[in-house]
Amino acid sequence: MRIFVIGAGQVGSTIVEALHDEHDITVFDLDPARLNHLSHRFDVVTVEGNGASRRTLQEAGVAEADLLIACTSRDETNVIAAMFARGLSERVKTIVRTTDVEYLEVWRERQLDVDFMVSTELETAHAVSRTIGVPAARQTDVFANGQVQIVEFDVEPAAGRPDVIGPPLREAAIPASSKVAAIIRGDRVVPPRGTESIQPGDRIVVIGSPQAAREWSQILAPSEQRVRELVIFGGGPEGKAIAELLLAQAISVRLIEPNEQRAAELAERLPDARVYHATGLDPDFLERERIGRADAAVFAMRDDAKNLYAATLARLGGVPFTITVVHAAGTNRVYEEGGVDVAIDPRHVTAEEIVRFAHDPRTLQVAMFEGDRYEILDITVRPESRLVRKPFRELPMTGAVIGAIVRNGEAIFPHGDSMLEPGDRAIIFTEADRVREVESAL
Amino acid sequence: MTTLVRARGPALGVDVAAALNLVGELVRWLSLAFLFPTAIALGYGEPVWPFLAAGAVAAAVGFALERVTQGAERVGPREGFLVISVLWALVAALGALPYLFAGEEQLANPLDAYFESMSGFSGTSASVLSNVEGLNQSLAMWRQLTAWVGGLGILVLGLAVLPRLRVGGRQLFELDAPGPDLDPLAVTIRETARRFVILYVGLTFLEIAALVLVGWTGLDEEMGLFEAVAHSFGTLATAGFSTENESVSAFGPATQWVLIAFMFLAGTNFALMYRAFIRGRPVSFARDDEFRLYVALLTLGSALLVVELLSEGLARGEEAVRHGVFQTVSTMTTTGFASVDYNEWTFPAAVTIVALMFFGGSAGSTSGSLNVVRHVLIGRILRRELELAVHPELIRPVRLNGRVVEDRALRGVIAFVLLYVGCFALGAFGLMLDAARTDLELTPFDAVAAAATTIGNVGPGFGIAGPLGSFAEYGAPSKVILIVLMWLGRLEIIPVAVLLMRRYWRV
Repeated sequence: MRIFVIGAGQVGSTIVEALHDEHDITVFDLDPARLNHLSHRFDVVTVEGNGASRRTLQEAGVAEADLLIACTSRDETNVIAAMFARGLSERVKTIVRTTDVEYLEVWRERQLDVDFMVSTELETAHAVSRTIGVPAARQTDVFANGQVQIVEFDVEPAAGRPDVIGPPLREAAIPASSKVAAIIRGDRVVPPRGTESIQPGDRIVVIGSPQAAREWSQILAPSEQRVRELVIFGGGPEGKAIAELLLAQAISVRLIEPNEQRAAELAERLPDARVYHATGLDPDFLERERIGRADAAVFAMRDDAKNLYAATLARLGGVPFTITVVHAAGTNRVYEEGGVDVAIDPRHVTAEEIVRFAHDPRTLQVAMFEGDRYEILDITVRPESRLVRKPFRELPMTGAVIGAIVRNGEAIFPHGDSMLEPGDRAIIFTEADRVREVESAL
Repeated sequence: MTTLVRARGPALGVDVAAALNLVGELVRWLSLAFLFPTAIALGYGEPVWPFLAAGAVAAAVGFALERVTQGAERVGPREGFLVISVLWALVAALGALPYLFAGEEQLANPLDAYFESMSGFSGTSASVLSNVEGLNQSLAMWRQLTAWVGGLGILVLGLAVLPRLRVGGRQLFELDAPGPDLDPLAVTIRETARRFVILYVGLTFLEIAALVLVGWTGLDEEMGLFEAVAHSFGTLATAGFSTENESVSAFGPATQWVLIAFMFLAGTNFALMYRAFIRGRPVSFARDDEFRLYVALLTLGSALLVVELLSEGLARGEEAVRHGVFQTVSTMTTTGFASVDYNEWTFPAAVTIVALMFFGGSAGSTSGSLNVVRHVLIGRILRRELELAVHPELIRPVRLNGRVVEDRALRGVIAFVLLYVGCFALGAFGLMLDAARTDLELTPFDAVAAAATTIGNVGPGFGIAGPLGSFAEYGAPSKVILIVLMWLGRLEIIPVAVLLMRRYWRV
C-alpha cells in the first residue's frame, strides 16, 4: 500500500515505525529536522512541505496513494489535507487525527468526507477506562464490542494463589472463558504450551471475557477492587474527556482544576462530576477532601513534572492506583520508576488507533503490546484457509495464539476441540514479525 | 440645541417625560375597559354615566399625559421602573372613580374606593365591602373586570417586562434566552405579550363555558351566565373577587371543583402551558423543576388540611377533601376564593393557610407572592452554601431545569426574598401598632395574616378580615399600609424600591 503520512511529530513517527516494513510511506512535514530523523531510521520518502497544500499533495502523487493519514497536531490542517486528497483522488482512503470532539461528532453524522477519524482525547479516555476496568492490568484492549478483553498483567514476585501460579498451564485453575496468550519472561516470550507455567515476576497476556479479566485481576491483585470513585487532576481537554467517559460508566468522578474559569466551565458541562477549583498540589487540600480515599487518581495536567509530583503526593496520601497522562516522549519510564502504576501517552494511543485502521482491510482492530513487538489481530477467516475445521489441538504452534472467536456476533473462547469456521472473526495474539504469516494462513 | 437640553432636563438620569408618555398611552387604552360595565349597566337598566364619566376621565388623563410629553417616546429599561410603578398606582385611582361616581355607600370614602380598586388591579381580592351583594350588577362586574384587566397586566409584566429589567432573578424567565428546551418564543415584548394574552383570554372563555355548563345541566342552580363570567374573571387573574357575600361557598361542589381546576391552571406558568398545549409538548410539564414542586406543594398542603379537617371533625368525606384541596389551591395560587369560612377552622389549619400564602403559584402566571421557582432556587442556594462550608474549593453551579443559573440572577432572587420578608414584617408591625391605637379587634396572628395576604396578593385574611368578612373596620393608616403592600407585592417590590434611590434619578 502507498501511504501518505502528514505530520512527522510523535504520532506520525509512531505510525511510520509501525507501518514502514510492509508499506511504501511518504511523510510530509514542514520541519526538515524531523524528516531527517525519520529517514535515517526508516526506509521512507520524505517531503518537506505543507501537507495541507493541494499543490504539494498533487506533486507528491496523491493520486496513486491508497491511504492518507493526517496526524499533525493541528485539526484544521488535518481536515484540509484529507479534503484535498479526496478531491484529487477518488480511491484514497483518509484518516484524520483530531483533538476536537466536535469534529468527531460531525464526522459521525457523516458530514465530513473522511474514512476514519481519531480523537486523541477520546482515545486517551478509553485507555484510562480500560485500565481502571481491570486494576492489576498494565494494558488492556477491548474487541468485538467489549465481549473480548485482552489484558497484560504483572505477576508480582510475592503473588499468592499457588493453584494458578506455579503449576503447568494445563493443570492451573485458570478462570473460565479465558486463555493465557503469552508469558513474557524478561525479554523472552514463552509460548503458552500446556507444560509451561506462570512464574512470579512474569508478565502475562490474557485473552478472555470481561468477567474473566476481572477474575484474573482478583487472582493477581486480590486487594485491588473495582474502581468506584476516582479523582482527576487537571480539567484540560483530556481530563474532561476522561471525566465524561467514566461518568457514563457510573463511576463517581471528582475533578480538580486550578484555573477558576475553566473549573466553572467544567462544572457547567459535567453536572454529575464534582469540580474543585484547586491546584491539587496542596497537601492540606488533599487531606481536607480525603483524596486519599479515592480508588484511583488520573493525572492529566499539562505539565509532566507536576503530574509526577501530584501522583507521588496522592500515593503518599493513600491513593492505591495512579494513572498519568504523559506528554513528553519517552517519559513513561520516569513515571514507572516514580511509582506511577500506569502511564498513558495520548500520542501513542492515537497512533495505535490509526495503525489499526491502516492494517489489512480485513483486520478490524489491531492492538500493540510491549511497544510494538506484539500485536493483537482481529481477522475474518477465509473459507480457503488451511486452518478451517481442524481441532485446535492439531494446529501447529507458530508463536501465535487464537484467543477468541467471534461467530455471529457472539464471542467464543476456544479450547482444544474447537474449530474455526469460514467467516469467523479470530482474535489472535502474535509477535509483530509473524503478522503477515498469520494473515496469509487465515 | 436648546430643545435637546430642555428635553433631557438638568442632571436627571431618567427620562420622566418619556415614561409618562408611555403611561399616558397605556391609560388611554385602558379607558376602553369602561365600555364593558357600561354595556352591563345598559343590559340591567342601571345608570351608565358613572362608567362613561370614569372612562372619559381616563381617556382625558391619558391624552393629556401624552400631549404634555409629546416627542419624548424613548423608554429604556431605566424608565421601565417608573412606568410600571406609576401605571399601577394611577390605574387603581382611575378604576376607583366608578365606585365614587355611582355613590356606592360602602365605598363613599375615596380611600376605601382606592383600596377596592387597588385590590382588583393587583389581583388581590382583599375587600372593604361587608356586603358585596349590595353593589348593583354593573358595579359588581366592574369590580371583577378590574381584577381581570390587572391579571392581563401582571402576565405581560411578569413574562415580558420584568425579565428585561433583570430584577428579582426574573431574567431567568426571559423567554428569548436560547436553551436546550427553552426555545425562543418570541422576539419582542409585543409578540411575547400577544401570545400569552391569547392564552389568557382563551382560558377565560373556557372557564366561562365550563361554569355555564355546570349551571345549565342543573349541577349548580346558583350558577348563571353573570356569575360564570364574574368568577372566571376572578379565577384567571388569581384575584378571587366574588359577587357573593359568602364567596364560593355560595355555590355547590361541581362549581367548586371546576374552580379548583382553573385556579390550578391560572397558577401555572403560562409560557409552560403555551409550550405544552399550543406547541403540543406536554412532557414540558414533567421536565419543569418549578412545576414539579408546585404540584408537590399543592399535594402536601391539601393533605395537611384534609387530615386536619377529618381529625378535628370539621368536615367529612368528599366535603373534607374538597375544602382541603380548594383552600390549598386557592391560597397557594394567591386567588383567595373561599369554599367555606375557614376562619372557623383550627389553629393548625390557619397556620397552614398562612404558610401557603408565602409560596404563591408559578412564575409567569398571574399569581403573586414569592413564586414556587424562587423557593426552588433558595433551597438550592442554601444547599450549595452548606456544601461549600465543608468543601471550600468546590465549584457547584446552581441549576434550574438543567441549565446553570448565573450568580447575578441568584443574587436577585435573594434580594427579592429579603425585601419581601422585610416589607411583610414592617407591614405586620405597622398594622399591630395602628390596631393598638384604635382598639381594633386584631390579634397579632390576624395582623401577620393581613400583611401576608396583601403583599402576597391573596385576598382574605383571618379574624374580622376573614374570607366572609372585610377590611372595612381597619383604620385609615392600616388601609394605606395594606394598599402599599398590595402595590409592592404586585410589582415585586424592586421596581418601586429602585425609585427610592437617589442614584436612580441622577445621571
